Amino acid sequence: MNPAPPGTREPAPATLAHWWGRLRDIQVSGTATVAMLVVVIAVNVALQPNFFDQYALTSNFATFVPLVAIAVGQTIVVLSGGIDLSLGAQVTLASVVTVQLTDGELGNLPLALTAGLGVGVACGLFNGLVVVVARLQPIVATFATSFVFSGLALVVLPRPGGTMPSEFTSGYRDSVLGVPVALLAILAIAAGWLLLRRHRVTRHIYAVGGNAEAAFASLVPVARTRITAYVIAGMFASVSAFAILANTGAGDPFIGNELTLTSVAAVVIGGTALRGGRGGAIGSILGAIILALVSNIVFFADVPSTYRQLANGLVVILALALAGIPALQKRRSA
Amino acid sequence: MALLEMNGVRKRFGGVLALDDASLSAAGGEVHALLGPNGSGKSTLNKTLTGVVVPDRASITIDGSPVAIHGPRDAHAHGVAAVYQQLSVVDDLTVTQNVVLGLEPTRRLGLLDRRAARTVAAEVLTRFSPAFAGSVPYDAAVGALSPGEQQIVEICKALARRPRILVLDEATASLHKEQVHVLFEVVRELRDSGVLVVFTSHRMDEVFALCDQATVLRNGRTVGTIALADATEDQLVHMMVGDVERREEARRSHASDRTVLQVRGLTTQRLRDVSFSVAQGEVLGLGGLQGQGQSDLLLAMFGAAKIHAGEVLYDGVPLPLTSPVKAARAGVALVPGDRGRQGMFAVRPIQENLSIASMHRRATARLALSQRAERRAARGIVERLNIVIGGLADRISTLSGGNQQKVVIGKWLLNEPRVVLLDDPTKGIDITAKEEVYAIIRELADSGAAVVFNSSDNRELLEMSDRVLVLFEGGVVDELTDAQVTEEDLVASALRLEAGETL
Amino acid sequence: MNTPVISSLRPPKVLSPVVLAAGLAIALLIVGEIVSPGFAGHGQIVNMLRVSAFLGIIAIGQTIVIISGGEGIDLSVGKVATFAAIIGSRVMDGDNTKLLPALTLALTVAAAIGLCNGLGITYLRIPPFVMTLGMIGVVQGLILAYTSGQAHGRAAPFLTSLVNGKVIFDLPGLLFLWLLLAVAVTWMLRRTTYGWQLFAVGANRVSARLSGIPVRRTVILAYVLSSVFAGLAGILLLGYTESVFLDLADQYMLPSIAAAVIGGTLLAGGIGGYAGTAIGAVVLTVLQSLLITLEISAAGRTVINGLVLIVLLSLYGRQRRLRT
Ligand SMILES: Nc1ncnc2c1ncn2[C@@H]1O[C@H](COP(=O)(O)OP(=O)(O)O)[C@@H](O)[C@H]1O
Ligand SMILES: [Mg+2]
Repeated sequence: MNPAPPGTREPAPATLAHWWGRLRDIQVSGTATVAMLVVVIAVNVALQPNFFDQYALTSNFATFVPLVAIAVGQTIVVLSGGIDLSLGAQVTLASVVTVQLTDGELGNLPLALTAGLGVGVACGLFNGLVVVVARLQPIVATFATSFVFSGLALVVLPRPGGTMPSEFTSGYRDSVLGVPVALLAILAIAAGWLLLRRHRVTRHIYAVGGNAEAAFASLVPVARTRITAYVIAGMFASVSAFAILANTGAGDPFIGNELTLTSVAAVVIGGTALRGGRGGAIGSILGAIILALVSNIVFFADVPSTYRQLANGLVVILALALAGIPALQKRRSA
Repeated sequence: MALLEMNGVRKRFGGVLALDDASLSAAGGEVHALLGPNGSGKSTLNKTLTGVVVPDRASITIDGSPVAIHGPRDAHAHGVAAVYQQLSVVDDLTVTQNVVLGLEPTRRLGLLDRRAARTVAAEVLTRFSPAFAGSVPYDAAVGALSPGEQQIVEICKALARRPRILVLDEATASLHKEQVHVLFEVVRELRDSGVLVVFTSHRMDEVFALCDQATVLRNGRTVGTIALADATEDQLVHMMVGDVERREEARRSHASDRTVLQVRGLTTQRLRDVSFSVAQGEVLGLGGLQGQGQSDLLLAMFGAAKIHAGEVLYDGVPLPLTSPVKAARAGVALVPGDRGRQGMFAVRPIQENLSIASMHRRATARLALSQRAERRAARGIVERLNIVIGGLADRISTLSGGNQQKVVIGKWLLNEPRVVLLDDPTKGIDITAKEEVYAIIRELADSGAAVVFNSSDNRELLEMSDRVLVLFEGGVVDELTDAQVTEEDLVASALRLEAGETL
Repeated sequence: MNTPVISSLRPPKVLSPVVLAAGLAIALLIVGEIVSPGFAGHGQIVNMLRVSAFLGIIAIGQTIVIISGGEGIDLSVGKVATFAAIIGSRVMDGDNTKLLPALTLALTVAAAIGLCNGLGITYLRIPPFVMTLGMIGVVQGLILAYTSGQAHGRAAPFLTSLVNGKVIFDLPGLLFLWLLLAVAVTWMLRRTTYGWQLFAVGANRVSARLSGIPVRRTVILAYVLSSVFAGLAGILLLGYTESVFLDLADQYMLPSIAAAVIGGTLLAGGIGGYAGTAIGAVVLTVLQSLLITLEISAAGRTVINGLVLIVLLSLYGRQRRLRT
């Protein structure tokens, strides 16, 4: 006799007040993400008829990369059950260090890029230690470290300036066999994520974000895993910084500030639950592109310049709010 | 020689002394029962062994040599694996991923070897395929499985670690009988191959069917160890509860004939068409395997779950169950199943914990509180329920489990409820406090409240309830009204055993 | 059988954060006096207290929101204060008779912003940090749209004299207003049903809901109050500066959180009070003065403020270990 009649497989009673536990347990479905992407592309094409021209494509993709990179980094931290509100400041710090060390010389570039990457790793490590060793809530801990990082950025480069070698910027705007380099960069980031996803560390990141206590009891090195997530995110922040430098050619000690929130928004509309353990970076990449295209729309839709920031701010809030709309959410497979 | 020896284990959680000089000694090749009432410290002792809990003091020897266990990894290195009462599975990972969690097979550079993982998982899971209705859902998220299936995954995860010492903490609590059968087979095989299995369960028939020795805990202390071959159930129960007076006339019913509470066709995400009624002054018990919807039913009756269909009537008038705020105003009270997480405000004073549900009644304009009135109300409850406290300004977390629970109950008494819902109210409290809670429940019923009472302890369920409803997968499958109902009857009904069938 | 009487086993009382913070303020004053004689003179101290008042009033709302728990925090307080000052200055435009309408409009707008925060956090379940961070962008957009990038107006003379003039005992009226607000808020937290519900909601939301407390309403009101107090502080700041800038109060975001944390309000929620926050505001103001006296650059001060917050959080606000 089989006591469980088919079709009555109830979702597990998450024994504890599941109705409140869902606080941040919301997840946008993949279909909703793709649908949003299609809509924003359509609107973009309508407003900007030359959207698919080589030049427009190249410059569009060039602006996507920084956001895409930071969104992937944010995803990894969020999956681990944390959040990194210092990612934007890390981008700023990595970019000013890189631009200062490059000093316009191509020959300095390898050293400068290595140092820029080192900055990301160091920032990530610092965050990880503060969260894990000092046991602070990630959200406030990284908020506090963001002030440390952006203050340091101002020490390194007090006002916008410095230049990157022209080879660096023009290479970024180039294309290989008709494919824009920036698009290749996005594909490389995606490929990097797909490889990472098959790594044991990433499995542990999902486990820790899903249920840290269970992971701990199951022999997952929870502390090390959490720190690693922040370090990986820091590396993606460095990549984001390089893309910004390649795109603008100069340093700016405030450049990354806006990126933090957008990265969180990209993660949410990309279908990763902010409570951790569920989702993935491909969605966040699409989310980043959606957000970038929305600011394009605001730009091309003749919004008066004094209202542009309001429009962008509202878009981010709306994107976050979308996650709260049940129809767009992913159903748990039952 | 004993394979495992634990001595002088002591552990305090805030005001709760969970273990006080507990010990356990067991040999390889035996199934050793670890018994005791709820809250006697069984899980804490198990977790001390597996490295999840840091004891204040403990000496542990394995194979005769002292070992230091600083975390789960140390325990693993000594061959200890466990099935935790609170499962240690990650809902979002698949069955396979959970089974190999923490010990994932990898290839070069730490890349996961999925095929090897599947092999490891299949080795342990195929044994249990009857428990999954035939086919093992290797790639399903564990969160989407039934409670029993999740428990099986937890068991397989422990088995995949090839332990020398296997801890099974209430591992059968939510298993169906087919699943129990497979588990017992596996445990017996492990025993025959020299493994020590530490087995904790509330069901005496399981203990006698499976175990060789039993160690009994009471209030965090080890009372003794006996061989089960020459022990009777009465002996065991006596060891567990001590010389407490048995409540011979506990089931004297003061229930009137007047039905006051009617539940009609209640359906939620986890409940299927539940209907029953409760008379004034009646205590209605909820039984069955754990996690079959008992807590969900109580939450729904308190307005804390989305109700898809059905209604609850009091005196023929529907209760407003769209939110707990409204339910509480309508005179419904809920003592939830997890005191720490659902019942109390650990960091707040006892005073606030007692006042919180009823203070608006005493406040001026529902806003301004009078300290004197609040204090008087709180003192009244402290005296009435005999709550042992230092002062009303102390944090509730400084109290013992039993006194904390009395505060949680007292909070509602101040609101003068007509319907009282209790979800396993004696979980994790000592025996004296249990008796006091029973007395409070009786008093409530006698004063005319309709009481619905869920318990994971079948003995107390039978002693306290006028009637018991047995739940299974969110529906009521049985109603035991006969005054002569025994624990065996209740277990048989919960497991849905056929007449004459045993474990 | 052992009895469950454990009242004598209460954890030892740790030094109260309020006392600790007060000690810290005095220590900083002494250091300042040593480094630069005159640092702790009467005039200096009154001035530091006045500057503290703005931070202290903004931090009232921050304290309430943090107590409400659920990772509660309001990052938009600085921007809201700025916006309120901008609205206030444009409406009053140096005219005492327009002070009341200006105040009403500014605080209403602030309350509306707080309401949006509260609704987004409770109904759309956006984490407070993210919601209020997003709100910064929206309010900044509103400011740009409202001003077209150019702030107008002037503080009413009465407002300026309240903040800057000496009222009683040679002390500015602002300090008395701050004291009044402090008493009112402390009463609200400790002697009203709302206050107790707020602590309960912050201590344990599940328990709060299952005790029949209207959790969402309690949380939403916390965010509304936060914005209103921020708006009020913005208006008072306008009285101090007399004319308004587009980023007038923006820099109060971090210190408002730090003040609450220094004063012993736990970021986990459910524990805290306003007296500590008020002293925390003084500590931070003295620290800034000291750093400026030591000629540390703005960038350096930002780094130090971040580090101070991390250190303070590690002292009070640590999370539970996995292995207990
Ligand atoms: N993490 C914890 N924090 C506080 N109290 C706890 C914790 N774990 C267990 N306790 C308390 O310790 C006592 C023993 O609990 P437990 O070991 O789970 O008992 P058992 O498994 O025998 O039912 C109970 O009073 C319980 O409330
Ligand atoms: Mg237990």
